[in-house]
Amino acid sequence: MKRLCGLLAAALPVLAGAGDTFLLRNVAVHTVTKGDIANGAVYVRDGKIAAVGARLNLPKGVRVIDGAGQHLWPGLIDSGTSLGLNEIRSIRESADLSEIGDYNPQLRTLVAINPASDHIPVARANGIAAAITLPEGGVLAGQAALVHLDGWTWEEMDIARAAALHLRFPVLSTRPSSRFSRETSRGTPYTDARREYRRKLQALEDFFEQARRYRKAKVANAPGFKPDVRLEAMLPVLEGTVPVLVTASRERAIRDALEFAEKEKIRIILAAAEDAARLAPELKAKNIPVILGPTFRLPREEDDPYDAPFTLPAEMHKAGVKFAFASFSNQFARNLPYQAANAVAFGLPYEEAIKAVTINPAEIWGVADRLGSIEEGKWATLIVTDGDPLETRTQIKRMFIKGRAVDLDNKHKRLYEKYLARP
Amino acid sequence: MRFLGVRAGPRVLIVLAFWAAAVLRADAPAVYAIRNARIVTVSGPELPKATVVVRDGLIEAVGEDVAVPVDAWPLEGEGLTVYPGLIDGLSTLGITDESALAPAAARPSSRSSVTSSPPGRPAAGPEDRPRTTSWLNAADLVRITDRRLESARSAGFTTAVTFPARGIFAGQGAVINLAAARSGGLVVASPVAQYVSFSSGSFSEFPGSLMGLTSYVRQLLLDAGYYRSAKARYEKNVRDAARPVYDRALEGVLAAPRILLPAQTRTQIARMTHFAAELNVPVVLYGVHDGYRAAGVIAKAGVPVLVSLKWPEKDREADPEDTDSLRVLELRAYASSTPHALAAAGVKFGFYSGGIERPGDILRNVRRAVDAGLDRAAAVRALTLSTAEIFGVADRLGSIERGKIANLLVTRGDLFEERMKVEYVLIDGVKYLPLPEAPPREERQ
Repeated sequence: MKRLCGLLAAALPVLAGAGDTFLLRNVAVHTVTKGDIANGAVYVRDGKIAAVGARLNLPKGVRVIDGAGQHLWPGLIDSGTSLGLNEIRSIRESADLSEIGDYNPQLRTLVAINPASDHIPVARANGIAAAITLPEGGVLAGQAALVHLDGWTWEEMDIARAAALHLRFPVLSTRPSSRFSRETSRGTPYTDARREYRRKLQALEDFFEQARRYRKAKVANAPGFKPDVRLEAMLPVLEGTVPVLVTASRERAIRDALEFAEKEKIRIILAAAEDAARLAPELKAKNIPVILGPTFRLPREEDDPYDAPFTLPAEMHKAGVKFAFASFSNQFARNLPYQAANAVAFGLPYEEAIKAVTINPAEIWGVADRLGSIEEGKWATLIVTDGDPLETRTQIKRMFIKGRAVDLDNKHKRLYEKYLARP
Repeated sequence: MRFLGVRAGPRVLIVLAFWAAAVLRADAPAVYAIRNARIVTVSGPELPKATVVVRDGLIEAVGEDVAVPVDAWPLEGEGLTVYPGLIDGLSTLGITDESALAPAAARPSSRSSVTSSPPGRPAAGPEDRPRTTSWLNAADLVRITDRRLESARSAGFTTAVTFPARGIFAGQGAVINLAAARSGGLVVASPVAQYVSFSSGSFSEFPGSLMGLTSYVRQLLLDAGYYRSAKARYEKNVRDAARPVYDRALEGVLAAPRILLPAQTRTQIARMTHFAAELNVPVVLYGVHDGYRAAGVIAKAGVPVLVSLKWPEKDREADPEDTDSLRVLELRAYASSTPHALAAAGVKFGFYSGGIERPGDILRNVRRAVDAGLDRAAAVRALTLSTAEIFGVADRLGSIERGKIANLLVTRGDLFEERMKVEYVLIDGVKYLPLPEAPPREERQ
């Protein structure tokens, strides 16, 4: 009971709405884009950053939060998750990740998000304030949404409801799918696999062509024009207002994806591109950003260097390719900062690692005017920490989303406390 | 009437097959003498110009000053070389019954009648004798109608050790000649070994893992040992003891004088030599492509091996963008140096075709081993006498000696020259001409 009262007290300012305006002072401000201020202050008004500086003159009566010994960072962004879409994969009722069928560009993950997912507070506790939620399944899986990791409903979480259309690029694979079948079968003959691959590519091109005709018919107000939600969803892509997030991991797939983008004249973002290092100059030349998956994975080929996944971000940086990190997970989204930290240990400059979870994703997803750094005019989506957010020992002390203090309690913490208190 | 018609069909075919076989036998005199030929006896020194006399299916005499008997059909051997007929050390030649050949079925539904586990229920343990047909005997399965016998003969083979090849304990092998007037005439010795493979089955059936497979093989061999002693005890005193329950799986295991265990990689070779040491039955390892770096281990274990001549190669149907691992590339590059390494370490080894589709490729692949350093004499031995020794039939096969079975290969040119041509083979003293060489497939289309 006592604990509940405490919680209520903590939540009161939020409920009152007065929490959206405050001064955070005596704190080390890490703006990401405009350097660090060792002992600075940030004035938040109505959920937005109104002023950043060493000393601020403020109107009287503003609530002051003292951040002595603490650090202020922009909230971290995970550029690919299934947060809110997938609670426990093997429990069908809790998984809303993929739809049947190859072409479902009309599907919006935003409306499928479960704001009460237990994975969301866990991710928040490690400083992740915003995330891309990716649909899976088929070829055009649906629309990825960029959301804040707090809200009673998906409407409250919405940042960009059509951040990208997710294209899971067809894969040419001759290898048997599972370890078991690898022992019993020799896989698909190359000629068959290639035929199937080309068929899928052709189908994909046909779909884009169909969408293009649909658009012409619509623009021309052609008689007998028949509305179609699938093709309607393709219009922003064809017009270039919505980018296509292309998942392609192997070199051939990446190459073909680049060619496809060129041919269809669409704006793409490359995702999970494990072989991206081999095509880095091309990615740079074409100015294509890359979303890098977890560094904690095995090298794909037996003879790859053991650290190939760890050094990939540094290689991307060296080549001048813009990239952001993604966990491509729900329960492991919390490891996003450590993913960036690993890349630092293997050659990525620290500042770049921070950018890859803050301003880079904000730019890639087209929300750099609102998110990704501590600058005047941006949303006050911030974290207060007792140290470097990429360090595992660092505690996230506070999180603000659009200036609103967010509860950092979560299932892990509750379990921790429960078993700590065990007599 | 209809019944008779159905019965008559296969019989007519068999008669036709006999007739075809008879035609292929150029002539069938009982005595041959090949004179003035280079004779590679294998067991003794090579004779540059000598005569070999064959009578009633056996070698009557061999030597430089052997006279051609008056009743012999003389065969001019000038410019020709006579070898003992080549032996394929592990094959399915002569066996046409699909149920004994197909790779172990992954699904219980495709289980054939020869499998022992009770129908409708997947095997749950060794007591169900999963994928075991140890009682199958190649000698009962070989048929002269198998077209592969002819093409193997054309490649210089006169003999093969042939096995049912389906399942974990697949069955008993027999040493067969590759031609005879009747199927029974093919068999030279039987049974000579039990063929064991570590093929994995389905998820739902025991054994589904490597450890399960190993434990099953161990258990069945232990059971067989116990079964033998229980039977012996019972025979001694049938009145006071309950009789042991008849088990055909164990009977099959006991029938064979040795077992063949698979060992391809270095790890498998180490594992199987360890395993062999704890078994009280002679073991022969087969596969052994990694032997080039495990020859010492094999020599120390004192286990003979059969080296597959199907050297690992890049799959033609592989994705050109797939990079092969160093491990795979090394195996491809060095596997053919295994025979040389084995010879140097003093390991007894024979060769087997290992599923090479065109018999002509078999000798080509032996040549690769020769190119990798294997002594030519050792290569011939591995194709003849060594294999005969491994299977305990060196008293009748594998070399050109008086009294041995008259299985001879007569070539123009040395066996390991690219332009070598098989002139004819003698099997049980009967002469067989090679098939006319098939034109390359591309030209036929």
